[in-house]
Amino acid sequence: MNALEISGLTKIYRTKKQGKVAALQDLSLKVASGEIFGFLGPNGAGKSTTIKIVMGLINASAGSVSVFGKPALDPQARVKVGFLPENPSFYDFLTGREYLQFVGRTFNMTDEAIRNSADRLLDLLELSQAADRPMRGYSKGMVQRLGLAQAMVHDPDLYILDEPMSGLDPVGRALVKEIIKDLKQRGKTVFFSTHITADIEVVCDRVGIVAAGKLRAVDTVTNILQSGVEGYLLQISRAGVVEELLVEKSQLQQTLADLLSSGAIIERIEPKRKDMEAFFLDILANQSAAGR
Amino acid sequence: MRDRLLHLLFVLAVLSLFLIPAFSLFSMRQVQELAVTLSLSALSFLLLVLTVLTGASSIWRDVERRYTFSVLGLPVSRADFVLGKFFAIALLLAVVAVVLAAGSFVAIKIAVSVYPADIPVNWLNFAVAVCFDYLKYVLLLSLAFVFSAVSTSFYLPFLGAIAIFMAGSASQEVYEFVTGSAGKDFAPLARSVVKLVYYVLPNFAAFDLKPQAIYALPLVPGTLLLTLLYFVCYTGIMLSLAVWSFSRRELS
Repeated sequence: MNALEISGLTKIYRTKKQGKVAALQDLSLKVASGEIFGFLGPNGAGKSTTIKIVMGLINASAGSVSVFGKPALDPQARVKVGFLPENPSFYDFLTGREYLQFVGRTFNMTDEAIRNSADRLLDLLELSQAADRPMRGYSKGMVQRLGLAQAMVHDPDLYILDEPMSGLDPVGRALVKEIIKDLKQRGKTVFFSTHITADIEVVCDRVGIVAAGKLRAVDTVTNILQSGVEGYLLQISRAGVVEELLVEKSQLQQTLADLLSSGAIIERIEPKRKDMEAFFLDILANQSAAGR
Repeated sequence: MRDRLLHLLFVLAVLSLFLIPAFSLFSMRQVQELAVTLSLSALSFLLLVLTVLTGASSIWRDVERRYTFSVLGLPVSRADFVLGKFFAIALLLAVVAVVLAAGSFVAIKIAVSVYPADIPVNWLNFAVAVCFDYLKYVLLLSLAFVFSAVSTSFYLPFLGAIAIFMAGSASQEVYEFVTGSAGKDFAPLARSVVKLVYYVLPNFAAFDLKPQAIYALPLVPGTLLLTLLYFVCYTGIMLSLAVWSFSRRELS
């Protein structure tokens, strides 16, 4: 069973100035259990709208969403889900530990299980020192890390994280990436949105690119990186002198033949690939061109 | 209980309880009656302030501060969210009512011990009056929740609850005036409108048992039962409306 299935999702907002605005148009995708899926798109692409519909916070104009086979609007669908909203905000008169207790209780965890899980997560996310202080005194990064802790407290099977690296310093970002990799190893499913391509390359199995409310591409990260070979960097030596040549993909065979016939020694052939950012920008450029 | 507003109200409540025996002595002949009146009025006023402020800011504030994104991301339905908050505030009001009633009991005892009255205080009546006053504010709370469930600002639930409270407290008198002999001068349409408004608005006057508590007048069980039934039906309808409205609300 897929952890998450989105089918024909459409969301149309009615605004006074612009009339009907399509925030999402016929978006369909499936996320398999155990997969780390990156939902990549520029600001305003529809990432958060999709996640809000998945979490039942807003209603879709058309289409359906199911979580482990249950309709997303059913609160029971969220029993196996850990959710981190974008720029999270929690009852700030509570302490971090109290909030984790509150979350644990909504998942019917025992007091002992909550205590153990909270202690472990507060330590993991470096919040132990602040755990017993009201959250109104937390920095943005601390709130973000607590947001991740509350999504993990009941050890769910599916994590839905809206911009999980937002507001974190480089140390915090690295920590979150390590956590996501660890979740992958433990067989958990992670669906997270971001507009930062480097995050996708490091942790994701698959990526879906959304722009202007439409899903533009879905593929594995490996495929994207392999299909994006633009040329090759050749390292050769000729008469004891080492040189580097940049050769286009279509010219590789001919160039190699010419070099060998001229007596050059090929020492290294390194494919030059587009990175995820280039792939992402290409898709956005194509979308803009199609829109013109 | 970490809200600073509640601390302020608590100080106000303690102050008013301390002042009741002293103020009661201003009436040399009706010390007991004045002590009971002041106690019930102070209790009623504090419950009103607490109801309006907590009820008006309940759902609206959670939406505005984006707490709802976190809470409704848990396996919590919108109905659970609304009803959970409602009953939590209703419980807070109950605790405050019991504490203030206990404080009032002591304050009245002190006042009465100085100038004993011919008719002793009927404590059962006093307790019933406090209970019905509490129910009145729970009903008002349900109305504040309806406003709070649809509002995008503090003003609608706050001012709406106060306006309904004032209108609902006066509706019985207006109804009796318009349907009485004086009402014959009014146009039939005006009388119909007043009747309609009377039936739509909550009738808070029905919950006022102060005369029974102050003068130890007999309570009428049938009337109390009807008022209780009215409370259950009206509050139930308002809560259903609040849940329905909030369930349809887009949290974007």
